[in-house]
Amino acid sequence: MSGGSVRPATLLAGQNVLHPHSPAEHSITVLWWVMLGGAWIGLTLVAVLLVLGWVRRNRDALPFGGGERAATRLVVGLGIVTPILVLTGLFLWSDIFVIRSTAAPARGSTALTVQVTGHQWFWEIRYPGMKAVTANELHIPVDTRVNVVGTTADVIHSLWVPELNRKIDLIPGRTNSVLLYADRVGTYPGQCAEFCGLQHAHMELLVVAEPRARFEQWLHGESGSARPGTGAEAQRGQQLFLTEGCADCHQIRGTSAQGQVGPDLTHVASRTTLAGATIPNDRTDLTAWLRDPQRAKPGNKMPELPLSSRDIAALVSYLEELK
Amino acid sequence: MNAVPYTHRVAKPNGWWGMIVFVATEATLFGTLIGSYYDLRFKTPEWPPPGVPDPKVLLPLILLAVLVSTSVPVQLASSFARARRVGAARLALLLALALQCGYLALQIHLYVDDLHRFTPQGSAYGSIYFTLVGAHHAHVFVGILLEAWLLLRLLGGVTTYRGVGLQATAVYWHAVNVLAIAVTIVQLSPSL
Amino acid sequence: MTLEVLPPLARRRAQRLGLIWEERPGLLGWLTTVDHKRIGLLYFFTTLVFFGAGGIEALLIRTQLAGPNGTVLSPEAFNQAMTMHGVTMIFLFVIPMTVGAFGNYLLPLMLGARDLAFPRLNALSYWLFLGSGLFLYVGVLLGKAPDCGWFCYAPLNTKEYDPGLNADFYALGLIFNGLSTTAGALNFIVTIFKLRAPGMSFNRMPLFVFAMLAVSLSLIFALPPLTTNLVFLELQRNVGFHFFDVAHGGDALLWQHLFWLFGHPEVYIIILPAMGIATSIIPTFARRKMVAFPLVALAELLVAFIGFGVWGHHMFATGLPVGALIFFAAASMMVVIPSAIQIFAWLFTVNLGRPDFRAPLLFIGGFIALFVIGGLSGIMFAAIPFDQATTDTYFVVAHFHFIIFGAAVFPILGGMYYWFPKVTGRMYHERWAQLSFWVTFLGTLLTFFPMHVVGLLGMTRRVYTYHHGFGWDAYNLSETVGAFVLAAGLILIFANLLWSRFRGVPSGPDPFYGGTLEWATTSPPPPYNFPVIPTVSSPYPNWDRADREEDLRRLEQGVLALEHDHETLATTVRDGYADVVLHMPSESHWPIVVALSLTVVFVMLLTTHFVVAGIFVGLAGLVLGAWHVREPAAE
Repeated sequence: MSGGSVRPATLLAGQNVLHPHSPAEHSITVLWWVMLGGAWIGLTLVAVLLVLGWVRRNRDALPFGGGERAATRLVVGLGIVTPILVLTGLFLWSDIFVIRSTAAPARGSTALTVQVTGHQWFWEIRYPGMKAVTANELHIPVDTRVNVVGTTADVIHSLWVPELNRKIDLIPGRTNSVLLYADRVGTYPGQCAEFCGLQHAHMELLVVAEPRARFEQWLHGESGSARPGTGAEAQRGQQLFLTEGCADCHQIRGTSAQGQVGPDLTHVASRTTLAGATIPNDRTDLTAWLRDPQRAKPGNKMPELPLSSRDIAALVSYLEELK
Repeated sequence: MNAVPYTHRVAKPNGWWGMIVFVATEATLFGTLIGSYYDLRFKTPEWPPPGVPDPKVLLPLILLAVLVSTSVPVQLASSFARARRVGAARLALLLALALQCGYLALQIHLYVDDLHRFTPQGSAYGSIYFTLVGAHHAHVFVGILLEAWLLLRLLGGVTTYRGVGLQATAVYWHAVNVLAIAVTIVQLSPSL
Repeated sequence: MTLEVLPPLARRRAQRLGLIWEERPGLLGWLTTVDHKRIGLLYFFTTLVFFGAGGIEALLIRTQLAGPNGTVLSPEAFNQAMTMHGVTMIFLFVIPMTVGAFGNYLLPLMLGARDLAFPRLNALSYWLFLGSGLFLYVGVLLGKAPDCGWFCYAPLNTKEYDPGLNADFYALGLIFNGLSTTAGALNFIVTIFKLRAPGMSFNRMPLFVFAMLAVSLSLIFALPPLTTNLVFLELQRNVGFHFFDVAHGGDALLWQHLFWLFGHPEVYIIILPAMGIATSIIPTFARRKMVAFPLVALAELLVAFIGFGVWGHHMFATGLPVGALIFFAAASMMVVIPSAIQIFAWLFTVNLGRPDFRAPLLFIGGFIALFVIGGLSGIMFAAIPFDQATTDTYFVVAHFHFIIFGAAVFPILGGMYYWFPKVTGRMYHERWAQLSFWVTFLGTLLTFFPMHVVGLLGMTRRVYTYHHGFGWDAYNLSETVGAFVLAAGLILIFANLLWSRFRGVPSGPDPFYGGTLEWATTSPPPPYNFPVIPTVSSPYPNWDRADREEDLRRLEQGVLALEHDHETLATTVRDGYADVVLHMPSESHWPIVVALSLTVVFVMLLTTHFVVAGIFVGLAGLVLGAWHVREPAAE
């Protein structure tokens, strides 16, 4: 990790609102292109009138003839009648019809429910009915309607995966839900959209859409307990994890580590990114992260650990085994 | 064109208009307080929350009646001043002041009494209750100060300036009294 | 009319008025002034300083975001700069500039009055504004500036998540600022109702005055929800009350409702004075009266009114019930109508007249273009699904900068050129002014247009940095370059005005042949504004030459010259019939004393010394009691 951070190279998609990968996002895109067309017409009309005013600055009458009365009629026509007609149309279409495709999914219309809880500054992801708990990487089966139910553990966050659907705010004491559906296997990045404090910029998210079989396999794996460290180095790493304070904040199911402050690390090695999808999850970056967690993401809640380089290497070895 | 005497003017004076606008903004303030009260209320399953007694009804309603009745002497004081009857104006003002001071004293007593039963720090109910009611008492207190100040000035007789002051103060009190009704209803609503 | 050309009797009356209305010279005179023109200038220069500060914050933000992984600002510094940029531009620049500076200076002149209805309250407004601005910037100097964004959502703003003084500076600073603004709005409303020249019935009021009336009414009803919200916040932060925390029965969304109940009218409060300025400049340079005048006047009031019904469109992603969403979307679309009326009225006035595209009109032309772009993207947000996709992205940032910078600030800049000769008696430099327009206009487009694109590409707002690889880099670089071009344009404008202040050609009283009454007096206007109270028989009284000649005759005869005392004329509310001669209060040191004690109060509240704060509230109260120790003869 040099200087700044770089998004993982595995990323296939971007965060382009106009690059839809779901029916809901597609309807938003259509809405946009139609509105953009209307907006260009409106802007052109105004620009033409401005330019005409400039070109004909030495003539009194309107370009198409007529004086004060004609002008007043035009003001009424263009300023009152036209907006009413155009906006009524837009209102009916967007706010009565299109809104249905982005509304919270109806009960029973989805095949899977995922719970997302916003934290400063990471996403906690649970699959109700399963023991799986993960962070920042939300796996869903492709071509499947998934109901994502969101809330927050602290301040307001907003869950947004631009190429899949609208955003929902995660608000204390409330839940909101949004339909996630991906029409193609791939990784879809998202981001917290509501300012949530110091590291709002690095509260990122990856939605991984996989074929159903791979998804099931993944979910099954995530639901199991962590395997104990193998080999002397990893075992020493596990010991350090449990005794040097890591366990106060992090949970590793199957060990005595039951902290609830930071992300669940039971299968941390199965994730491609770290720290709210800020940095890649590889040996170099993980080592750098453990050495100085405040460097890549200043202000995050992970303290600097009083560990030697050897200890950190052992910890990394352990964590890398937590597939 | 010479100065038209105060009693003959056609339009309401600037001071009256100023007070109308001021009262409008204060009424909006109370509107938002009351709106917040109900926002919090409808989010809370039990209102008031467990352990907090329902508000008592009788005494606050009697006090409210007393307070609202002071609109009459305040208005009279303004009319007397307009008619240049200084003595009557002073007397009406004094009467209003006495009633309002009594009201405020008793209300503060009730407020402190409430604080012994539940606190604003205990729950959102307590927070909005004491804020709303406290804001109302503060407005009564300001009204009393206004009247005391006018009473002092009236010792030197009536002038146009003081007449306008009384007119504006009457507007202020009418508004405070209307708001008092709203605030009291909201305050007592869990018991009604 | 300059004094020298007046006939002897008239000149003598004017000289007497000069003696009556002249204030103390020197620094003390500025500290105790109640002259709306001097207070307007105080506002003007103070807000310019804050504009500079907000501009520097903007450039810092843009420098940080010029490329991915910027390291110019730390996250904390970025969040403070981002928050203070918003707070400064809205509360310490646009509103005090339009309402405080333009409104103060111009309103009595356009109404044909000699001052505002409550001159000392006006002085108090200014000193409170200065106090609140300094208060907020002390936070900046201490490194404890607000860092929660200008709408500072709960519960991020509570002690638990924002333990420093940052949010306290925000809450107390804005309550403080609100006192000033409320006092100003109240003063304007009463002035507009009561101090219009005889004959100026409501339907003959200049459109600028209609806009100011709409703004003032909006402020009166919009500020209380903000104040309530901020008081709740301080009670929660410093006294342990619970309004926004769920654990004790609070509601985080309560903050948003109250904030936007203020915040959306606020947008129209920002834009309405700009519309007022546009409706002043266009008729002058198009050399004809405004097309569809009554519709435009009505539209200005309607904008302010509808503004109160649309707050929920800032909350489309919060999970409000669908019925509420649809209501707010419909209301938001309705705002388009009064805006469209005005836009087309402006355009057809220009087309129907023989427009002279000098700098002020150029700025208004730019304003119309930018306002339309910002308005059209605004309509898109009333399409709920689109809003839910793009809210809190740079698309929103683009939209509201087109509105706030393009539509609100461009007329301010044009207005600075337009009224510069009135205020200084000298002309600005026309060629440089036109150049400054084009630089500013291009800078604006270069800065804010790419934000639409980058927002659609998924860049969320308020991020202190971003990754390479989303296709955002080039657009961000363009925005940063644009910001510096824009800054250059603004520097050109102020350099022009500064140079012209000393070297400009003398302008005479009415260089543009303007239609409203401010052009009927000398440049700069004398302390008493008009030697004789003008009478009015149309919305463009300065074009009614017969009336103005009649003024001169009346001055000679002494009718409505009011030259015996510190007086102005009050008229009836609807029809503007002459009602009563008002004795106006004179200069006073009380306003600044009250403002000082209230500044102490807010500092004490900040440091939670509640008793000391109480004592100083009492002190301020005592001073208010002494406000008119010597009563004005009438009122």
